[in-house]
Amino acid sequence: MKRIVVTGMGCISALGHDCNEFSRKLLRGESGIGPITEFDTEDLIVKVAAEVKDYDGSVLFPEKQLAQIDRFSQFALLASKEAIADSGLDLKGRLSERTAVVHGTGVGGQSTQETSSYRIFEGAKRLHPFTVARLMPSAGASWISMEFGIIGPTFATTSACASSGHAIAMALMMMRAGMADVAVTGGSEASVTAGTIRAWEGLRVMAKDTCRPFCRTRGGMVIGEGAGTLILETLEHAQARGAKIYAELIGVGMSADAHNLIQPLAEGAARAMRAALDDAGVSPEAVDYINAHGTATAQNDPTETEAIHAVFGSHAARIAVSSTKSMHGHTLGASSALEAIAAIVALNEQIAPPTANFREPDPQCDLDYVPNTARPMHIEVALSNSFAFGGLNTSLLFRRYPTKS
Amino acid sequence: MSEEIGNIVLDVLAKHTQIDREKVTLETRLNSVGVDSLMMVEIIFELEERFDISIPDPEFAGQQNKQFETVADVVRVVKELIEQQQTTS
Repeated sequence: MKRIVVTGMGCISALGHDCNEFSRKLLRGESGIGPITEFDTEDLIVKVAAEVKDYDGSVLFPEKQLAQIDRFSQFALLASKEAIADSGLDLKGRLSERTAVVHGTGVGGQSTQETSSYRIFEGAKRLHPFTVARLMPSAGASWISMEFGIIGPTFATTSACASSGHAIAMALMMMRAGMADVAVTGGSEASVTAGTIRAWEGLRVMAKDTCRPFCRTRGGMVIGEGAGTLILETLEHAQARGAKIYAELIGVGMSADAHNLIQPLAEGAARAMRAALDDAGVSPEAVDYINAHGTATAQNDPTETEAIHAVFGSHAARIAVSSTKSMHGHTLGASSALEAIAAIVALNEQIAPPTANFREPDPQCDLDYVPNTARPMHIEVALSNSFAFGGLNTSLLFRRYPTKS
Repeated sequence: MSEEIGNIVLDVLAKHTQIDREKVTLETRLNSVGVDSLMMVEIIFELEERFDISIPDPEFAGQQNKQFETVADVVRVVKELIEQQQTTS
């Protein structure tokens, strides 16, 4: 089977506009969560989010393009531009046909959807002609294809908070099957909007101050926004051009809970992790670091802890498990991609990023969550979990390259 | 009014749990009739809409399940919020 490696990374999030800033803040345990600035929160219960800061799309994109591109597609493009440049790939000629784009999103053009609906209900007689093209969830993938002239298999995946996990899994499988040599994959989300925050408030899973995963006094999740893109490449293609290799994507696991739209199930989460280990053919004892789903809701954190115990047995106590959502927030459809980058940063730097904002242990959550301070340690294999609403799960397994074991 | 509030809470609870209205009383424990955190969110939403009140969350997410133990707890909180609203408006 073809081996697939990561040769480029790009991201934009509350932790900054590129991967360097992301990894620097991540390892410092710096949280990007703060008061919402994009709209008036006076009537909202939840007034915090992990927004992309100092962002003005109107200076980054030409006016003509701005009319056609939602904020989520802007993020998808910016993360992908960084990742492609980082890879050093020239995606022209035959390679443009041999490159795939698989970019996920949970909801797509949410701000376009909300502002358009508002106009209609306020009595507007017409909407901007590009409204449909702005809000479709596949717009991000289309923009990446158009901007970089990529003409291989191109589509979006959507599975709520596992959207980009499924994107990365699809890309991996197409490349293993020989349908592409390179993939631009990940996900994007820009749904820090008044309507989305209101909708999440209704579920009563939202923190009012900040995100404190696995902590006894956690108040719930904090919505974030941003995008993450990985450049996946077959090992032979990467080696032939002498590319810098960040890590090897050795396995993916996917599963469904078949249980409930909202409540997670430990068994489903455990099956995704086991499937990733089986796919890679590595034993549970090989895993050193887990970037947890870790949303900081009442339900997720004990359930995920239980699942990790079920899969890893006595080895669970030796794994560093952290939730970087404490810093970049829950970016929904972008979260698997951003957290995959966090896991790769951990492999490259040999440092486990912390779970920030941690105050006191919860008796229901008894693993090593790397509270508040990053930890230098040996990391050969890292797992990244995403367990979405609707019980759709992905686990991505990365190994250091070249591996030492 | 007070009795009416209690009756409405019992109606809402019976509707969501699909248990005979006669079988739920103020002393009924919510978890004994299958009210989990998700159903509680739906019940709270319906009560907020009916009475035009806002039922606050507990401080920590982990306390959510302990906020209301019996039907009487729900009725008491709803009454308090309605009274607060009447005195402020």
